[in-house]
Amino acid sequence: MVNLWNLIILNPMLNGLVALSSLLPEAVEFGLAIIILTVVVRLILMPLTLRQLNSTKALQSMQPKIQELQKKYGRDKRKLQQEMAKIYKGAGVNPAGCVWPMLIQFPIWIALYQSIMRALATAPENLLDLSRHLYSWQIVNQAIPLNSYFLGLNLGQQSSSAGIGGLILAILVGGTMWVQQKMTTAPSADPKQQSQSGMMLLMMPLMFGMFALMFPSGLALYWLASNVIGVVTQYFIGGGWGYLVSSSHT
Amino acid sequence: MKIKILIVLGIFCLLVLGAGGCIGGQAKPQGFSGVMSYDEILYLGSMDGKIMAINPSARDQELNFPSLSNGEWSFAFTMPSKGMACGSSSVSIVIYGTPVMANGLVCIGIYNGKVLMINPSARSQNLSFPQGRSGEWSYPRTDDAIEPIVGSPVVANDTIYVCSSDSRVYALDMTYGDEKWRSVPLDGKLWTTPLVDGDTIYVSTFDGHIYALSINDGSLLPWVFEAKVGFVSPLGMYKGTMFVGSFDRNLYAVKVGDDKPLWGFTGGNWFWATPVVSEDIVYAGCLDGKLYAISSETGEELWRFDAGSGIVSSPVMANDLLVVTCESGNVYLVNVQTGEGRRIKNPDDPQSADRPSIDASIRGHLCVLDGIVYIGAQDNRLYAVDIDRGKIDWKFPLAVE
Repeated sequence: MVNLWNLIILNPMLNGLVALSSLLPEAVEFGLAIIILTVVVRLILMPLTLRQLNSTKALQSMQPKIQELQKKYGRDKRKLQQEMAKIYKGAGVNPAGCVWPMLIQFPIWIALYQSIMRALATAPENLLDLSRHLYSWQIVNQAIPLNSYFLGLNLGQQSSSAGIGGLILAILVGGTMWVQQKMTTAPSADPKQQSQSGMMLLMMPLMFGMFALMFPSGLALYWLASNVIGVVTQYFIGGGWGYLVSSSHT
Repeated sequence: MKIKILIVLGIFCLLVLGAGGCIGGQAKPQGFSGVMSYDEILYLGSMDGKIMAINPSARDQELNFPSLSNGEWSFAFTMPSKGMACGSSSVSIVIYGTPVMANGLVCIGIYNGKVLMINPSARSQNLSFPQGRSGEWSYPRTDDAIEPIVGSPVVANDTIYVCSSDSRVYALDMTYGDEKWRSVPLDGKLWTTPLVDGDTIYVSTFDGHIYALSINDGSLLPWVFEAKVGFVSPLGMYKGTMFVGSFDRNLYAVKVGDDKPLWGFTGGNWFWATPVVSEDIVYAGCLDGKLYAISSETGEELWRFDAGSGIVSSPVMANDLLVVTCESGNVYLVNVQTGEGRRIKNPDDPQSADRPSIDASIRGHLCVLDGIVYIGAQDNRLYAVDIDRGKIDWKFPLAVE
């Protein structure tokens, strides 16, 4: 199973990342390769992302109706579910539609994460391990070992040990995640729900900001690139800044 | 409800952190120190951060460790923790290099960025480190450290030479540990052992250079060899020719002073270990699992031996045999004339043809002493392999208190 994973997903992605690095200017090779590969992967997964966004949007537009049903059948859970299913069916929306595209993307994210971590090879064991995954292509061999520095940051080092640069990176990861979430989180009329979504809106960016500090900067860079692409996608697909602007006006 | 959300977020947090460790991040550095012998005592670093002196005779007799009367000791050196690490304020050291002997003292470079000079007598008395009067020191002297040291130190002219990941070569006074000089930064991380030949130090780099430095002041000498691809192995030298493995899966022979390699030999992966050269034949272990015998003059392949998995440790010569070890834990005795080899059987399962000789990877430098090969394996045990009898005599866990 591990071999199959390596053969089909990890090795192509890892070698692609290394080959890409060798085509870029040495001073920024790996950092830029992470960003480019993140963009490429996001583009490949765009149909799934669009499907996920559309499902989320459709579900949000149905929230007033759902809330009405909740008030009406709050005590009768079975009836509530039946009525909700009717509404979903009528609108041609599958509530799981926004989950499974995310699940399909998950292995890709894991492979990208593994590729970044393996390519960095910060210790001799890692370099030995890397040798087992690399193709014999000249373009790949020429790039090894990769220059792990990008804009003064050592991408193989924990962001927390990287001084002010690492801290800025972590803040950017949290900040962009907050913007991305804020763009899609509809304000609720129900104060209880509003409080819950408000907490989620803060907690997730905070958590990922913390993760960005605890993991190597290369991974934080990938999260940042991924968030920025998410914001840009949302902006163009969702038609502007969404709830980020509208909620700030209210 | 808020508590529920917090619990869910907490679980998510743990999952992400756990996933970071489980889904194939980078393995934590564990080290793979080599074994060195001096005066019938073996010196090596353990995987739990100790530098140890082990008497093979005492281990053969299964005496309690450390047998002080037999010159045994164990020294756990720790470093202050950095970053966001929680818990204890000090961390165990990680050792990749092989210790060297310098005037009866043990010198070693550690991944945590220090060079240590250790007096066996002071360590057997368990005195605080460093005992300056006994010739002990650490470089840098304070809690500071230089960048990680992966290669081994080299002793010459009362000086210790060592390479660091900050891409410099350091020359340290053997008696006091004072810095005599440090070179200008070369290329990238220097995970290599310098090669000292006369008044010159040669260093191979990850960026594909072989630099020649003056042994007196570390200044760069005019000759530099430049390759298109980086070098992965430390240099081996024989009759004025250097042999070095490259990331392009070639082993190159480079004559000092030349700007082109004498020859290149292509393997199936990197030549990680320093090749061994004897009687005009280069014996080079490759991560493709083969040991190649190559003419040092022409680069022509004479024979190859398939060890089955990557060869990380340099092979060692013992009479007409080469002891070859590999990542799977197998140990082979290979005839240098014919290239035929036989596998050492696992003492716990001698009938099995599949079970490796040792149930762990072998990566550290091997040591031959009186017909026995000593192997530090990645299960943090030391193994003694009797070459004549072709069997493992004993194994000793290094994680003892």
